[in-house]
Amino acid sequence: MKFRFTPCIAILALALLPLLLDPRGYWIRVLTITLLFAAMAQAWNIVGGLANQISLGHAAFFGIGAYASTVLLLKFGISPWLGMLAGGALGGLAALVIAIPTMRLQGHYFALATLAFGEVMRVIENVWTSLTGGPGGLSVPFVPPGFAAYSFKLLRPHAYIALIALLVVTAVFEMIRRSAMGYRLRGIRQNLPAAEVIGIDTTRVKLQAAVISGALTAMLGTLYAQLAVFFDPDTVFGIAGISIRIALIAIIGGVGTAVGPILGAFFIIPLEELMNDLLSSRAAGLSQLVFGIILIAVILWQPRGFVTVFVSLKARLSRREAR
Amino acid sequence: MSFIQAILDGLLIGGVYAVISIGLTLVYGVMGIVNFAQAEFLTIGMFVAWFAWAFLGLDPVIAAPLSFAVAFAIGWIVQGQLIARVLTAPSVAQIFLTVGILIVIENGSLLLFGSQFRSVTTSYQTASLSLGPLFVSIPYLIAFAMSLLCGIALWWFMRASWFGRAMRATAQNPAAARLMGIDTALMYKVSFALGVGLTAFGGTVILPYVTVFPGVGGQFVVLMFTVVVLGGLGSVAGAVVGGLAVGVIQALSALFFPIQLQNLVLFVVFILVLAIRPQGLVGASR
Repeated sequence: MKFRFTPCIAILALALLPLLLDPRGYWIRVLTITLLFAAMAQAWNIVGGLANQISLGHAAFFGIGAYASTVLLLKFGISPWLGMLAGGALGGLAALVIAIPTMRLQGHYFALATLAFGEVMRVIENVWTSLTGGPGGLSVPFVPPGFAAYSFKLLRPHAYIALIALLVVTAVFEMIRRSAMGYRLRGIRQNLPAAEVIGIDTTRVKLQAAVISGALTAMLGTLYAQLAVFFDPDTVFGIAGISIRIALIAIIGGVGTAVGPILGAFFIIPLEELMNDLLSSRAAGLSQLVFGIILIAVILWQPRGFVTVFVSLKARLSRREAR
Repeated sequence: MSFIQAILDGLLIGGVYAVISIGLTLVYGVMGIVNFAQAEFLTIGMFVAWFAWAFLGLDPVIAAPLSFAVAFAIGWIVQGQLIARVLTAPSVAQIFLTVGILIVIENGSLLLFGSQFRSVTTSYQTASLSLGPLFVSIPYLIAFAMSLLCGIALWWFMRASWFGRAMRATAQNPAAARLMGIDTALMYKVSFALGVGLTAFGGTVILPYVTVFPGVGGQFVVLMFTVVVLGGLGSVAGAVVGGLAVGVIQALSALFFPIQLQNLVLFVVFILVLAIRPQGLVGASR
């Protein structure tokens, strides 16, 4: 493979960033959350970007991962690392369960069905009190710090785990995008009947993509649970907080590309945090209001995401060089 | 007997659901846009009516046209300034533009009115008629009657008026409509404003039995989508059938399941309908 300069610099910069931030401070937490959301948006991108199946229910998988590892840890003392694998398996299974009935749906219909699925999971976790603690939420129990127990005193290890997760999910995305499966998914996006005519088993490809995306998102849910230490159903299964935010990050950045979700996350999450930091003391709702206005402005300005800005910049630069 | 009572209550509530959701299906039918912010106009309608009640002493039933007018005006501006720009954009941009509008309206009302719950008191709030062994709640009945009136007015408007016919023409074929001298941009504005106005109207007539707060619209989002998908996205007649069906499903599930599971039943019905008959129960849609 050809050596690519820009991605390597970006990874190096991201790897150094946690060392520069105060390990007990606020901004390293923001960075960790940003990396986690970038990874989630990247996992969403497998289905949402390549096949253009806009899911508004990815919180379902995220929440499953958060609950699976925490319940296993609470009830059986199983390390969250193993819990993460269990969560990933459950998340993949959930993705299969919802993908089978919604497979044939496209566009708005698919978005609506997945939205409802996320809500189904939220209601179930709220009601199934014996397992999940219900609306009161769950606390991740304290265990002596150590890598095997996934317990750390400082936030720095969490930041690196999130960074590695982002790299892994991005690698998976790129591998799929370049593989035959990636071409099949894009075929589905561009022309479903044509894809079927040339012999693509579209149902199977969509199911595969959905399961991979769901499993990865669930595993990221475990990472979130270990970082947040406390969560409740309305947080991890939230429509606005998780489902829409994941999709939004990918869309603002640019769907179907590997850099899109990363750009989107590094725009949206710090922006939101900054706004909360600056405005939330003034009046309730102000920071979210400003966030909504910025979102509208960005979509009106670049309906295809930030990636197009970079692409057109690049094109302009190379044209200048050619002259 | 409680079974029949539940069906009766469900039909009365479902009539209101129909009016709330007609706007959503109308906008989709004419422009092909799914407005995720639709339920926020319910919040706007309820707040307008609450303030009309608190400061002018108007009953929500009388304030309903006022709510309609306010939402109509806001919808006109939103369509002309925002939605019109993404009509040809990818559907993700359309979805997320309306999500942005949702966030702005919800947090704008939080900022303006605070997070407290507000309710109105009316003389008929707890009154009910008894029909033999059955009870008909007066606020439910009034809300249903108002919704019915509103539905008939809309039906007349769409069938008989020039505007209504021009709107239907635009929905069927915008290019041909333009050739016939119809200002399609104007039609889009009228249908969006009318759609959100109807939702605000529906929000107002339920004010006697639902409290208003900035997040109240959010509680109706999935419900509204269920109604329109049941009836077929884009079909106004379907939304009426869907609304009544959702009302009855809700009332019946409250009879058999604990109250926390009420919405779960609705969501499962929603996913099943999407999976089995995405074109809706009524069928004839785009």
